[in-house]
Amino acid sequence: MIYLAGAGFANAGGYQVNLIGIRYVGMGHIGTSLTMDAGSIFFNPGSLSLIKDKYSVTGSVSGIFSYTQFQAANGGFSARTDNPLSTPFSVFASAKLSDAISVGLGVYTPFGSSIVWGDDWGGKYLIQDIKLKSVLFQPTVSYQIGDKLGIGAGLVFAYGKVDLNKALPLTFADGSSGQVNLKGHATSWGYNLGITYKLLEDLTIGLNYRSKIKMDLKDGDANFKVPGSVSSNFPAGNQFDATLPLPAVLSGGVSYKINDKFLIGAQLEYIRWSVYDSLIFDFKENTSSLPDSRNPRKYKNTFIYRLGAQYKASDLITVRLGGYYDETPVRTEYENPETPDGNRLGFSAGLSIFPMEGLSVDLSFLFVNQLKRDSEYAPANFKGAYKTYAYIPGIGLTYNF
Amino acid sequence: MKLIIASFIALAAFTLVGCKPDIGEDFTPTSGSADFSKYVAVGNSLTAGFADGALYKQGQSYAFPNILAQQFSLVGGGAFKIPYMVDENGIGVQNGLPVTKRVLGPVTDCKGVTSLSPVFAGTANLLNLAPVSSQGPYNNMGIPGAKSFHLLTPLFGNSLAQGGNPFYNRIATNPGTSTVVGDVVAQNPTFVSIWIGNNDVLGYATSGGEGGEDSITSTIAFTQYLYAIANQIFVDGRKGVIANIPDVTSVPYFNTVPYNGLVLTSQDQVDALNAAYSQLGIQFKLGQNPFIISDGNAPGGLRQIRSDEYVLLTVPQDSIKCYGWGSQVPIPGKYVLDYTEVAKIKNATDAFNQVIFEVAQQKDLAFADMASLLGSLSSGLTFDGLTFTTTFVTGGAFSLDGIHLTPQGNAVVANGFIGAINAKYGSTIPPVNVASYPGVVFP
Repeated sequence: MIYLAGAGFANAGGYQVNLIGIRYVGMGHIGTSLTMDAGSIFFNPGSLSLIKDKYSVTGSVSGIFSYTQFQAANGGFSARTDNPLSTPFSVFASAKLSDAISVGLGVYTPFGSSIVWGDDWGGKYLIQDIKLKSVLFQPTVSYQIGDKLGIGAGLVFAYGKVDLNKALPLTFADGSSGQVNLKGHATSWGYNLGITYKLLEDLTIGLNYRSKIKMDLKDGDANFKVPGSVSSNFPAGNQFDATLPLPAVLSGGVSYKINDKFLIGAQLEYIRWSVYDSLIFDFKENTSSLPDSRNPRKYKNTFIYRLGAQYKASDLITVRLGGYYDETPVRTEYENPETPDGNRLGFSAGLSIFPMEGLSVDLSFLFVNQLKRDSEYAPANFKGAYKTYAYIPGIGLTYNF
Repeated sequence: MKLIIASFIALAAFTLVGCKPDIGEDFTPTSGSADFSKYVAVGNSLTAGFADGALYKQGQSYAFPNILAQQFSLVGGGAFKIPYMVDENGIGVQNGLPVTKRVLGPVTDCKGVTSLSPVFAGTANLLNLAPVSSQGPYNNMGIPGAKSFHLLTPLFGNSLAQGGNPFYNRIATNPGTSTVVGDVVAQNPTFVSIWIGNNDVLGYATSGGEGGEDSITSTIAFTQYLYAIANQIFVDGRKGVIANIPDVTSVPYFNTVPYNGLVLTSQDQVDALNAAYSQLGIQFKLGQNPFIISDGNAPGGLRQIRSDEYVLLTVPQDSIKCYGWGSQVPIPGKYVLDYTEVAKIKNATDAFNQVIFEVAQQKDLAFADMASLLGSLSSGLTFDGLTFTTTFVTGGAFSLDGIHLTPQGNAVVANGFIGAINAKYGSTIPPVNVASYPGVVFP
């Protein structure tokens, strides 16, 4: 029997990638209560209509350099990932149609992962490598009620693709293992709602809800590399269906302008990860050696706590600092190397340079320390500790006019 | 401004240098109160690395004592010398004749159906049995076929023609004079593993309970032999580990051919058999039926097999498929373990394990509970993403002879020994990654 122990997606609390908008990254990725630029399309559509400028365009890209180490329990083998650089990006544009109504479009990548353990590492029967990519497109409208309240909504179209390899417990004559490649893509819909309120001239609060997006992957390709004598048990051209949920996120934030130069903010996010209960590969053609593969994940809901600050040093320079604590949704007994997760501490710094009014070159740097965690994937009896460092520089451009 | 830019340049440099996490540095393997500098393994085919019906080079290299020795080397263990065969086909014995290891290959049965089955890899090369004792002594003193008393008798080192064991004959320091235990003690080991007793019941079991000289060793004799072995080896505070023996009926050799494997597909077959056996009152039905087996004590000398009895893996399949074995012709007793034989095997296994446990206590040894570990395989055991069962070929732990272990099975066993050793001696020897060992090779 070949049990495909499963696959999922990773980076930043499960497989969230919180790297949307370099200005926001620089201040611990707070944004729900901010009204800086068109990035509000993602962070809080309610804020969009409160932006003073008529037009706002912002785009950015980050580079994730991440290093995960696995240390098997009781001093067993050690392994390190050899991850390729991954580059999440985001682009937002908004325009005021009237004093009250703003519209915008965002394209961003809030989920994804790229992990390469290698074909021969000790967890190869769980995962060898996985690439998950998602791109979300979000047309948005925002309405200002009075001069203190903004509400907004966006419709989200999501495209995602996955490509993973794992070893199969069939030994070739040269001692190497069989392998399965699972590859496919999915599209789906969701929404993004927000409300922003200026409690005081200098104190803003915001609430944002981004819906769950259920990615139903249909007719993915399942390719098997197995010894010839058992190839009939692994039909060529086989396909599979799978469902990958992108969880709902509820976030509340507050920001306070201490003076013209100094702004601080805090944000709390609640991520409904429990939607990711299990990962099931439903093969079109089953054989006695190839039943459908059911892999428990049993994620739990989590919080992220964020703090950030921005200081306008001069007309030319704005600097930022921030940090966050991001709880892992993965239970200790369901930690799988396809998503080697743990509680994370993030520390960020940012800088915007304004060559002219309204135009900025934005830089950020984020260091993520995923704390060491002793855990196991109990269904596979795979025990050990994981630890990850990620270094994430980012660059962007913003033009408000 | 300059400060800010400088810090960003510093951060960029930091990224490129990429200080990586390191969680291994706080763990150091330790030997505890044991000394692994000279490890010698003594036992039978399981210790030798016998697999696929033969002793061959790769099987020897994956034998659990060699895996142990590799882990011991992390805590001061020395070299571990193995008496390698000369080739990868190796040598085993079937019906008194030398054979090679088995591999999976296409086999066409009497009905013209071709399927994947174990076949011999080639012709046995007798050079595999040529003496290599001059290159010894050897740390792996596992001798295929050894029963408990074999480890004590100099006759065991005689040539095959003289009734000795060829696997010991080739490495005995002085064939016909030296004993296995003597050769172990002469090496003055600091640590010894001993796993013996399986063949004291297995020979009886694999011959269907019919083997004249392969009768079960009596418990009284086994007790004497095991104490004699332990008394010679475990002197002067020498440390070691002793393993108990699994219930041999739990291995694929006894569980692959189902007791009710007589499948009748037409009413004509059912009617014909019912007519033939009407006098004995045996009834048949469409679908699965218990096989007919020989039993001298049953009326007519035959009866239906019971669900708690076993048909051996070696039963000729073509005789069942095409020549009426198990239906018109009873399956001969040498291919069947009947319930009285099963009871004898289980009683002997339990009694031997009691003795092994007592020896472990009395000699203050680590105790590796292989009966529990391998016994739980029947319900499935998972390590490092691999699930093992007792299913023949696909179960993963047992090699193509249905009795001995695959490299992955040896890794599981080695981790069981390591756990027992760490528990006893307070050592922290790391386990091995089962996933990095090969399983049954498919063509």
